[in-house]
Amino acid sequence: MKFFCTKNDLLTGVNTVQKAVSSKSTQPILQGILITAENQKLTFAATDLEIGILCDTPANILTEGKMVVPARLFSEIVRKLPDTQLSIELRDYTLLIEYDQSNINLKGYDPEEFPLFPELADAESFTMPTALLKTMIKQTVFACSSEGSRPVFTGTLMQVESGTVRLIGTDTHRLAYRIAEIPENPELHFYGIIPAKTMSEIYRLLKDEDEIINIRFNKNQVEFEFGSVRLLSRLIDGQFPNYKQAIPQMCETKTYLSVRSFLEAVERASLMAKDNHVGNIVRLVLKEDAMNIAQTSEMGKIQEQIPIRLDGKELGISFNAKFILDVLKILDTDEILMELSGPFSAAVIRPLEDPNYLYLLLPVRTA
Amino acid sequence: MTQALVEIEELLASVLREIQSLRSYIQVLEEENIRLKRDAALPAQETERVIANAERIQNVAQENLLRLYNDGFHVCHLHFGQPLEGDCLFCMGFLRKD
Ligand SMILES: [Zn+2]
Repeated sequence: MKFFCTKNDLLTGVNTVQKAVSSKSTQPILQGILITAENQKLTFAATDLEIGILCDTPANILTEGKMVVPARLFSEIVRKLPDTQLSIELRDYTLLIEYDQSNINLKGYDPEEFPLFPELADAESFTMPTALLKTMIKQTVFACSSEGSRPVFTGTLMQVESGTVRLIGTDTHRLAYRIAEIPENPELHFYGIIPAKTMSEIYRLLKDEDEIINIRFNKNQVEFEFGSVRLLSRLIDGQFPNYKQAIPQMCETKTYLSVRSFLEAVERASLMAKDNHVGNIVRLVLKEDAMNIAQTSEMGKIQEQIPIRLDGKELGISFNAKFILDVLKILDTDEILMELSGPFSAAVIRPLEDPNYLYLLLPVRTA
Repeated sequence: MTQALVEIEELLASVLREIQSLRSYIQVLEEENIRLKRDAALPAQETERVIANAERIQNVAQENLLRLYNDGFHVCHLHFGQPLEGDCLFCMGFLRKD
């Protein structure tokens, strides 16, 4: 194998696949990046067997071939290389990198030991605008659980049916739901739980210039293809709960308020909770035309008031501040509608004039 | 501590048994109800008695589930009987009658 390329070509490849490199595997080969030189392009590939990423970059290839390099060291070397023409050659599992009057010899692994990327058997597929998918991921993935004890909640449910695609993330205490239309595929059906890590990776890798993303799936795996990147992921086994039943159909109180003033007030109220082990809980009191937001801790007390519009019953209710801040930060609208039914029932937050998104959060029971 | 756990376990097991037996009982009653409804010869009074009975038992089952939830156990399909860590959206959705 021998090829010429630039530092940037290598950097793009390494940066794209690095999150799929296994960090704790006992198999050294999985801590490596497979580099294949073929058809005038380099393909970088890494996998931890749960997620796999492949990325193509152009290169001037003299002789084709492949090798596996240790990911961490190789990426550090690439980052530190000068911005000049690089010549890279493979000699007996050792990569010879030559630049200017200097050279580096890097020992690698046997590429034949690198696990193959499975081709998705019996796959179906659909496409959607990348900007839309990016927004959908941003609006849902944060609600997933980070605890591994209940695996289904560490992923977002992707549900495709009747010409729509839905993403749902929940940790059982809150739930984020987003729906969008994919009118070209009315017959398509898919129901799979995609690891949150996969979703975050796609979000990180999607670029504005990639206009369309192609999503292929079968029962066990899903594959996303966009720009020069292909990302494969296993699906999480298990059954997702009946999220529709969790969404209240009625409410006793409707309140309309500004995202910005609510966000800023809760952020300031949260300051009082720093180093507070009990958790960051804010108390909301909703009156006819104003909402009070308060937090008390041993460090002090803060009380904020913002104007609201209210239909229905007045009430006092307490929430984990993070649950409120997380959603307010990802909404693009100026105003939200919050639906409540007393201090113990789940609240629903909807962006005003956008029926495609909703966020469900449970209050905290306070004495 | 161990004793308390054993007691909770026994309580949970007995509530579960109760719910399970009530569930099958309700099913039998509902089937009976349908059969009776079809039977036009039966006096309306008798049908009403059966409906009322089924409803009463259904309410008891609902109350038991609510008690189980308030005692700190999931009643949602996915985690039925497992200990709660804070409220659960899916239990509450299941218990709510919209
Ligand atoms: Zn539950």
